[in-house]
Amino acid sequence: MRSKLPDAASSRKMAASSAVVAILASIWLCSSIAADASGSSSETTMHTNNWAVLVCTSRFWFNYRHMANTLSLYRTVKRLGIPDERIILMLADDMACNSRNKYPAQVFNNENHWLNLYGDNVEVDYRGYEVTVENFLRVLTGRHESAVPRSKRLLSDEGSHILLYMTGHGGDEFLKFQDSEELQSHDLADAVKQMKEKHRFKELLIMVDTCQAATLFNQLHSPGVLAIASSMKGENSYSHHLDSDVGVSVVDRFTFYTLAFFERLNMYDNASLSRLFNSYDPNLLMSNAYYRTDLYQPNLQEVPVTNFFGSVMETVHTDSAYRAFPQKNTPRETRIRTGNTAEDDSRRSILTDMTKAECPFTRIVSSLESKMETVGNLDSLVNYGLVMILPVLVVSVWLST
Amino acid sequence: MAEVEKKEVAAATPPWKPKPRPIVRLGIVLISHSLLVSVVCCTAGVVALFLLPMLAKNTYISENALMPGSASSMLSNDDISEAERLAKDLTSLNSGAADAGIERRRVLAKYLSDLGVEVGYHKFEPHQNQFHPLHFFSSPDSGLSRENGSCSSYGINVVGIIRAPQADGKEAIVLVTPFNFRKNSSSEALSISIGYAVFSLLSRVTWLAKDIIWLVADSQYGEYASVASWLRDYHIPVFSASSSHNADSCFEGNNINLLREESLDRTEISSGFRRAGTMAAALVLKVTDVKGQLEDTLSVYAEASNGQMPNLDLINVVNYLAVHRQGLRVKVEKFLSVLRWEWIWVLGDTLNFIGKVAGSLNPEWKFGISTPDYVEGTATLANSLYRQALGIPTGPHGAFRDFQVDAITLEISPKVVYTNQGRRNEFILRSARLIEGVVRSVNNLLEKFHQSFFLYLLTSPAKFVSVGVYMIGFALLVAPLPLVAASLYVDANKPDPSSQGPKHKLQINFKPWKWLSAAKQVFTVHAWGVFVSLLPYFISQIPNSTPAAHSIIWFSLSTFGLLVLYLITKSHSKPQKGEWENLKSVTISVVFIGLLLMSVVNFATAQIGALVLVPACLLAQPLKLDIRDASLKSFLRIACNVFISFVAFPPVGFFVLKGVNEGFGDMDVGEFWTWLESLWAWNSATYIYIGMVHLPCWVLCLHILLHSC
Repeated sequence: MRSKLPDAASSRKMAASSAVVAILASIWLCSSIAADASGSSSETTMHTNNWAVLVCTSRFWFNYRHMANTLSLYRTVKRLGIPDERIILMLADDMACNSRNKYPAQVFNNENHWLNLYGDNVEVDYRGYEVTVENFLRVLTGRHESAVPRSKRLLSDEGSHILLYMTGHGGDEFLKFQDSEELQSHDLADAVKQMKEKHRFKELLIMVDTCQAATLFNQLHSPGVLAIASSMKGENSYSHHLDSDVGVSVVDRFTFYTLAFFERLNMYDNASLSRLFNSYDPNLLMSNAYYRTDLYQPNLQEVPVTNFFGSVMETVHTDSAYRAFPQKNTPRETRIRTGNTAEDDSRRSILTDMTKAECPFTRIVSSLESKMETVGNLDSLVNYGLVMILPVLVVSVWLST
Repeated sequence: MAEVEKKEVAAATPPWKPKPRPIVRLGIVLISHSLLVSVVCCTAGVVALFLLPMLAKNTYISENALMPGSASSMLSNDDISEAERLAKDLTSLNSGAADAGIERRRVLAKYLSDLGVEVGYHKFEPHQNQFHPLHFFSSPDSGLSRENGSCSSYGINVVGIIRAPQADGKEAIVLVTPFNFRKNSSSEALSISIGYAVFSLLSRVTWLAKDIIWLVADSQYGEYASVASWLRDYHIPVFSASSSHNADSCFEGNNINLLREESLDRTEISSGFRRAGTMAAALVLKVTDVKGQLEDTLSVYAEASNGQMPNLDLINVVNYLAVHRQGLRVKVEKFLSVLRWEWIWVLGDTLNFIGKVAGSLNPEWKFGISTPDYVEGTATLANSLYRQALGIPTGPHGAFRDFQVDAITLEISPKVVYTNQGRRNEFILRSARLIEGVVRSVNNLLEKFHQSFFLYLLTSPAKFVSVGVYMIGFALLVAPLPLVAASLYVDANKPDPSSQGPKHKLQINFKPWKWLSAAKQVFTVHAWGVFVSLLPYFISQIPNSTPAAHSIIWFSLSTFGLLVLYLITKSHSKPQKGEWENLKSVTISVVFIGLLLMSVVNFATAQIGALVLVPACLLAQPLKLDIRDASLKSFLRIACNVFISFVAFPPVGFFVLKGVNEGFGDMDVGEFWTWLESLWAWNSATYIYIGMVHLPCWVLCLHILLHSC
């Protein structure tokens, strides 16, 4: 019974998609529906965009390193191409301007102080006492009150790749939020399940740097989720080094070595996730990093890290981008779209939506592309083509002589 | 089927009686075996006390926010040389001159205002601690010191305040260096050097979250008085115009105005009283010259009034930084005489041996302790217990505890008196870095000290016994008291065994008001105890008399009072059966209540008191009975009773303790008076305990011993 369900769902979606294509063909409407239609199920959905949710769950001066961890990762994913509007940053944000900070308005993650993480363009979405379990779950599941601005929402769709990074103090199947609340592994798993139901992601990478971080993943069951933890059950996650100038530990080991890995990369590198996973040395971490891959189908050796930590999209050149929006979307079409992924989202990122914008050239290319995909073995097609060329060549040679 | 059985049972026991609940039965069993229980419990209680050094745990820093030693020191040699310049300027002034004190204050204020910090003077009138019977346990009050102070004697503290550059100024850390402005003392100058070096550094740093107050306390009238009066003025502002006018008129024409005018040439020296936020912690810094030391040592004094201790984390931070960062030797005070006692060494050897045997049986049991460690621990523990029991603060830090501020006194003593400037600078550097580290660590605090223990006894600077452990010994000691009281009561009111069958032996026949006459006696004696405790207030009013005379007057008046009471309440009727049992039972109950109450107020006093009072009360039995009995057991009991009631008499106990510690050389009757005077002057609850619990109970025990039954 259970095995039949996906089939039924996909066939229903296929029907829907064909209907949509028919509408498209008849009324010649330019919209991003085609993109949605082609992504009929999560397995075959195209990767549309990248999001990052970075959470530092602790506050107070002596937890400086957690904020530095989060800010370092924020910087890294920004460098690798995720724009600020697609990063939800949750920080207590009480370090830079803490009166104990020897370097006012600066945050460092290394004692050499080469890099100030708290530069001009840090956009903190949830700060101070807003970093609560409730807000965190609201961000993940998208159940916001109507007054919450768009910049504070995770507006992902079913083609999104989401990086969820959390750091703070944790224990067996829980993560402490600012000394007052706890996020339990059940809560996290439930939120991820809801996200899956609401088609809010295609692939989700959860990275947690706390003590006993692996236990936080125990209840996860949703497909498409990949999880990395800094430590196994019963292990502590240690800080990397102490900055005796600032007087606190400035970075955790797991995050430090993650950053060390990414510092060698740029946006165009094809380093795979398995390379990242193998880069963790238990002797250096003083704990065993843990990966949960059973919910994630693709082969990790083929998945580049930029799938999650960056925003590298396949782009297709178009002649004129701006004529692609001849009219506004109608409410009817909005309803067709799944979930609460608002239609405006398609315009928020020009880069990814280029592919969705309809113009003759694009349409031809995309239809060609989809046809190419439907053909089973391209190699034989090419071979047949080459063989077919031979008689033509012979005939043409014969005619010319 | 079941009903039939029930009926049979009912038939078997015709007068149906409800079975008492298990707890009641347990109580009855304990009461009927009260002798065995009391012997076992008392022995266990004393043994537990001697096991405490073994059960001591290593201290650890409990508060995460403190992070001691995580920041490197920023103190440089420039700070030191500047501080040394100040010390030279202070000492070079002619100490003979009348205005040397004013001049020194001016120099110090100039240096401070050059740092760019707020400087202020605080004038105070030292007042003698007087016995105020109604002021026990009351908060330190402002009115006390402000009445009719004479204008002739006053002290002036110099206060510097650094405002934390990025903070809200709601909290402060206090540094105190006692300094006698009238005298030249090299060690006090050294402490000023250290204080100034730290202060000048802190005035530059950007990481302060709490304001820093440096109080150079004028110690010509004692270190405690100046700090205490500054604290009182800090916390209890006076709004009444009359008193301030009074104080001002007092200083009118005196040299404080002169002093202000002279120093006003460049910077403002505030005329009003300067305040910062609530105090997070306070450090009192002293330098002393102690001859014959192997290395630079740091002595930590923590006991405040009535055995209150600062949070253990503060001591931990100081100890950690001193040992692991600055390489100083940290000491806490100990009874040196304990080290000379042979039997402690033997006990240590025995415990060591037992620990080793246990370790060989099961490697998991690691409670062995080496003999020297045990003896050292015992000596320190004994001192810790004694200091807490006295209830007298061991330094100016005690004044802070009255305002719930955690404070300790750090007494640094250099190995030798440094003549070489380089060695001297190095000593200052190490001490100042220690202070800087502690300040930076406390600066990291987010809340008041609360994470670690407040109730503990130290057995070494890095080892402590927490309340949960040391309470066991006390609980075991006092546990037999209610049992024995109940058992005596049952015995006294038991109907004659001849008239009753053996079946109803344990059945209590309540004659409710029989204990009332005993209670009346006990109450009378306690009323006498209150009278005796209040007497010194009147005796001390007698002018021109020595402590010895005071003691004798006090003693004779008390004895007279007791005699009068005895004559008034003496009943001429024939002593009834069970009278002394009832009396003893009520006495024991009262001792039990008194000890429990005292253990809440000052645990150490209750612990030491229980060691004396519990055996005295439990053993007390009319001598007449024992003499009539004339067995070995009763002779042993007579000997014990006589010895204990001799030692338990407070003056005798005091002199015995003193003799054990310092040798029985010269004894003066006045010493006991002086000792008690210090107790009441510091509002120590121990005084109340001695007067209102210990002494009456001792009298009652004596009364039972001499009872004519």
